[in-house]
Amino acid sequence: MSPKAPQTDSAGPWIRKVLPTELERIREPEHEVLARMRDLGYDEDHRFAVRLALEEALVNAMKHGNKMDPSRRVRVEYRVLPAQVEIHVADEGEGFDPGRVPDPTCDENLSKPCGRGIMLMRCYMDEVAYAGNGREVHMVKYRRT
Amino acid sequence: MKIVTGTEGDCRVVAIHGSADVNASEMLREALLGAIESGATRLVCDLGRTDFICSDSLSVLITAYLKARGRGGFVRLANPQVRVREILSEMRLDRLFEVFPDVKCAAAVAR
Repeated sequence: MSPKAPQTDSAGPWIRKVLPTELERIREPEHEVLARMRDLGYDEDHRFAVRLALEEALVNAMKHGNKMDPSRRVRVEYRVLPAQVEIHVADEGEGFDPGRVPDPTCDENLSKPCGRGIMLMRCYMDEVAYAGNGREVHMVKYRRT
Repeated sequence: MKIVTGTEGDCRVVAIHGSADVNASEMLREALLGAIESGATRLVCDLGRTDFICSDSLSVLITAYLKARGRGGFVRLANPQVRVREILSEMRLDRLFEVFPDVKCAAAVAR
């Protein structure tokens, strides 16, 4: 998938938020996305997957991207449609190469405490793509009945 | 999230009630690592009422596992529910941790 800048189109409008780099603030977009998913009848499995991936993306943006620098912001954009949930998260950090993150499920990495966020996002979302030198992540979860 | 601590046999039990999200991971860190620092190195983490766990809280579990093991003890997991069990499986952490159907089993099994 090639990442695209989110644009309002006939599928529906994007909700855009700019968050300070404060971990307590990630609940706000999480609650909004999950409430919208509940309204559209997404089941618990879908809501769990999106909650987990969104949390990991926002935590990565604040901790690893912005390095908890309070002067930096995190931009989150999402839209919850009847057939899919699309989320974009961008930080103001230095970026990174997602291809160079060690696989946490390899035997030699199993006991390393860190490095599972990206893999959880990939496990629980249908599409995960990075752009902007790793400063932006774009995720999609499709509804399956 | 709420942490409930207790004992089972000679094990310290740390039960996680609710969501072990990033904002709760520090509380979990204090509970588990605090127990180890105070000398309890045989720990059972009761996941029977844990409905969510993020990578930060998984990191805390792994750090506690390494510290307890370094002192001759263990951190065992008990009764993870379906979604948490799936995360443990996807991350292959069920190969790192011993996972038991309940707290009694986890505490009863010989080292």
